[in-house]
Amino acid sequence: MKLLQKTIRSYFIYSVVILLVAIPVFYFVIQGIVREDIDENLLNKKELFKPKIKEALLNNSVDQLKFFDNDISVSASSSAREFDTLTTVEIFDTIAKELVPYRLLASHFAIDGKLYVLKIKISLVDNDDLIESIVKVQVILLILLLTGLFVINRNLSKKVWMPFYITLQKLRNYKVEKHEPLSLSKSSITEFNDLNASLQELTDRTHKSYLNQKEFTENAAHEMQTPVAVLQGKLELLMQTVPITEEQAQLIEEIYDAGNRMTKLNKSLVLLTSIENSEFAEKETISVKHCVEKFILLYEAQIKEKQVVIENKMDEDVVLCANNALIEILISNLTGNAIRHNYIGGRIILQLNKDSLSIQNTGRLTALNEDKIFQRFHKESTDANSTGLGLEMVKKVCNINHYTISYRFTDNMHGFTINFTTPKNQNIFDKY
Amino acid sequence: MKLLVVEDEKELSKSIATYLKQENYLCEIAPDFKTAIDKTESFDYDCILLDISLPDGNGLNVLKELKANNKTDGVIIISAKNSIDDRIAGLNLGADDYLAKPFHLSELSARISAVIRRRRFDGNKIIVLNEITIDTVAKMVAIHHVGLDLTRKEYDLFLYLVSNKNRVISKNAIAESISGEGADLYDNYDFIYAHMKNLKKKLTAAGCEDYIKSIYGMGYKFTI
Repeated sequence: MKLLQKTIRSYFIYSVVILLVAIPVFYFVIQGIVREDIDENLLNKKELFKPKIKEALLNNSVDQLKFFDNDISVSASSSAREFDTLTTVEIFDTIAKELVPYRLLASHFAIDGKLYVLKIKISLVDNDDLIESIVKVQVILLILLLTGLFVINRNLSKKVWMPFYITLQKLRNYKVEKHEPLSLSKSSITEFNDLNASLQELTDRTHKSYLNQKEFTENAAHEMQTPVAVLQGKLELLMQTVPITEEQAQLIEEIYDAGNRMTKLNKSLVLLTSIENSEFAEKETISVKHCVEKFILLYEAQIKEKQVVIENKMDEDVVLCANNALIEILISNLTGNAIRHNYIGGRIILQLNKDSLSIQNTGRLTALNEDKIFQRFHKESTDANSTGLGLEMVKKVCNINHYTISYRFTDNMHGFTINFTTPKNQNIFDKY
Repeated sequence: MKLLVVEDEKELSKSIATYLKQENYLCEIAPDFKTAIDKTESFDYDCILLDISLPDGNGLNVLKELKANNKTDGVIIISAKNSIDDRIAGLNLGADDYLAKPFHLSELSARISAVIRRRRFDGNKIIVLNEITIDTVAKMVAIHHVGLDLTRKEYDLFLYLVSNKNRVISKNAIAESISGEGADLYDNYDFIYAHMKNLKKKLTAAGCEDYIKSIYGMGYKFTI
C-alpha cells in the first residue's frame, strides 16, 4: 500500500465512523430536547386550564370552553388515575387528510364524584420538521468539514512527501556506473534532509568502490597482456628450436593452448571493460537482419563443419540506432554460442519480427540456469574455448541500449530473445 | 630489409627480433620514445613495429613525426590497448596495420611481409621461391609457371606458411589467421588438417616439392 493511501485510508475510516455515530446521536438528542420542551409546555397549560375547567364544570359551562381551543378537551372518564399520562399518538387530520403525530397529556380528576379526563395535545409536525432541518444542516456541515479536512490533508501530505518521492525517483534512476551525483534538493523537513545526506554519502561510497573495482579489472587485464605476449612469443621461439622431440612438441602445444585461452580471456575482459567505460558511443542505423546474416555467412565454414541446419525465419527487419561494434558483439556472441554449443547435425532457428530477435538452437538436453547464465565467468559447458564472458557482454550491450534479453528452453531448444523496444519512463505523479 | 621494433618490454622485443631474424630481417630495437624518435630521424626502415604506450611518450607521436617528415616507412602498431579509438586513431594517422597484444609472432611476421610487399614501389608484388610463384595482387599461385586452382582459404593458408618459411607455426595461429574471430567456434583444429591436406595434394599434383611438414601435430613448417 502506498504511503498516501495508508494515511488517507485511516482518516477516511475515522471520518465515516464519526459521521455514522454523530448523525443519529445528534438527531435523538435534539428530539429529546424538543420533547422535553413540549411536555413542559403541556404541563404548564394543564396547570393553567385545570382550575378554569373545574370551575366551568361546576357552572355547567364546559361547552363554552371547548369553543376557544380545539386542542383541549374534557370528557367523562370511566377510570380514575392518580397521575397524568404523556403519550405520543397519531391522529387523523381531516384537513391534511393524513395521520399527524401529537403529544397528548391526559389528566384525570373528579368533581362531585364524577370522573373526568382533561386532554391537551400539541401537534409535533412542526417540531419534527424543525428537527429534520437542523439535522440536515448539521450533516451537510459535517460532511463539508470532513471532506475539506480530507482534501487538505491529502494535498498537504503530497506536498510534505514530495521531496521523498523526488529522492525515490532519483534513486531509481541512479546508476552506479554513471558518475551522476544525486543532487538531492534541500527540504524544509529535517528527516528528509537527513535521509538525503545519508543517501548522498552512500551513493558516493558505492560509486567510489565501483570505480576501484573497475579500475582493478582494467589494470589487471591490461597488465596481463604483456606477460602473456612474452609467454606466447617465447613459446613460438621454443617451437623453432632443433632438435625437438615429440614429447616436447606435445608439451609446447599444450602450454600454447593454455596461453591462447588466457589471451582470449584477456581480450574479452578488455572488451568488457571498454563496454563498461562506454567507449562505444557513436551511433548509426543498423539492420539487425543484415547483421545476423553477415555473421551466419562469416561462420559458414563452422556451420558446415558441424552440419548445422539454419532455419531463417527472419521475415521482417528491425532497424536500430545504436553502436555498430556493440550490436556486432551482441549478435556474434549469440550466433557463435548457437553454433558452438550445438551438436553435429543440430538446428538453429532465427526469428525476427518488428521488435524482437530470437535465436534458438539445439544442444544439451537440459535447460541452462537462467539466473546465472549472464553472470561473469559462469560456465555451463566444459568447452575450453568458452570464456564465460560472452553472455555477460551480451547482457551489458542490452543494458546500455535498454533492450531486454530473456532465455527459454522449449522443445529441447535453447532460445535467447532480445526485445528491442525500450520501456517508457513513467512520470512520478502517475505512480503515487 | 630493415625493421625497427619500438617496444618497452625487453623480453617481447627480443622475441620479435629473434623470430624475424630467420626471415633475414635486420631488427633494431628502440625501448623508449626518445630512442625511437632518434632512430627514425636518422634512418629509414622498411617497417616499424610501434607500441603505443611507451614509458616516456605516446607511440602515436612517433607516427605523427614520421608523417610530418614525409617518411614512407611502413608502420604496424602493436598495442596492449585493443581499443577501437586507438585503432582508428592509428590507422588515420597513416599506420599500415594494427595488431593487438598478445599476438602470434607468425601473425606478426605475415603482417610485416604484407606491409613490405604493399610498400614496394618497383611493382614487384610477386614472391618467387624455387618452382613456386605467388602473385600477391591477383592472389594466384603458379607451380612451374602453371596456375594452380586454390580456394581462398588454401591461398591464405599457403601465403601464411610462406610468410613464415622455415619456422614452425602453431595450429592455433593458423586457425586464427584463416578463420579470424570465428576460430574458437570450432571444437578442435581438425579443419586445418583438412585444408592442409587439400593444399598439399594440389601442390604435389602440380609438381611442387613437398615443402610443408607437420611437426608432431604441434604445428606446420614450410621448409625451403
